[in-house]
Amino acid sequence: MSILERSASRPGSTPNRRSRQNFETWSWFFMRISGLILFFLALIHFSLTHIFNDVTTTTVSFVAKRWANPFWRVFDWLLLTLGLLHGSNGLRFIMDDYVRNPRKRAALKAFMYSLAVALFILGTITIVTFKGNFAG
Amino acid sequence: MSPESTLYKGKTGQWAFVLHRITGFLVLMFILLHIVDVSMLNFPKIYNEIHALYGNILMRLFEVGLLFGLVYHALNGLRVIMIDFFPGSIKNEKSVFYGIFSLTILLTIIGGVIILRPFFTGSVH
Repeated sequence: MSILERSASRPGSTPNRRSRQNFETWSWFFMRISGLILFFLALIHFSLTHIFNDVTTTTVSFVAKRWANPFWRVFDWLLLTLGLLHGSNGLRFIMDDYVRNPRKRAALKAFMYSLAVALFILGTITIVTFKGNFAG
Repeated sequence: MSPESTLYKGKTGQWAFVLHRITGFLVLMFILLHIVDVSMLNFPKIYNEIHALYGNILMRLFEVGLLFGLVYHALNGLRVIMIDFFPGSIKNEKSVFYGIFSLTILLTIIGGVIILRPFFTGSVH
């Protein structure tokens, strides 16, 4: 029996909950796929900026040299996007589990999702607009 | 119900889950901060000052902690995927947990030495 069938036929599920379970199934699948991609993106990124280069040498000119190649801009933008989506969805599980008051939970979720969207926009602007023609 | 009867005494799977949650949460908090500090790239003076700060011992210890969280979350994530997609592998769940945890410690020690060394020797690789 596949996971899809199992979650749809779970006892106590009502037609009302079906669409939500469908969303949760996609959420479950997204976490596995994005997690697998992030495994490489995040570990490569950390190795390059903390292990193979010392953190004090990752200056503006270091970034300028790296981002001269569009590959690294795309790499970092994917890390930004998938990291925020994977992280926000993980935080959603945590908020569902520990913030039991429905109004507090709704308010906290609204705040955290807005923060994630704002930082996604900020990060995207940084990656797209950085010119790197500074000295130093 | 007494508190004892509601206390869930889980085994390795529970500890793997708890640690997965904590490390995931901390890595996300770091990402949120990191997006803000990188956004200073268009203000090079401020950006370079922040990155000089990353070289002090407190921030270097923090980086070692980040390395532990990142490696544990990444490796345990693979363990979760293994159990989800190959349900038969659940019988090896415990030894896989000990395996990934040992690997996490090993990589944290190796990475930790590389990250902390420049602070003591003063030379940067």
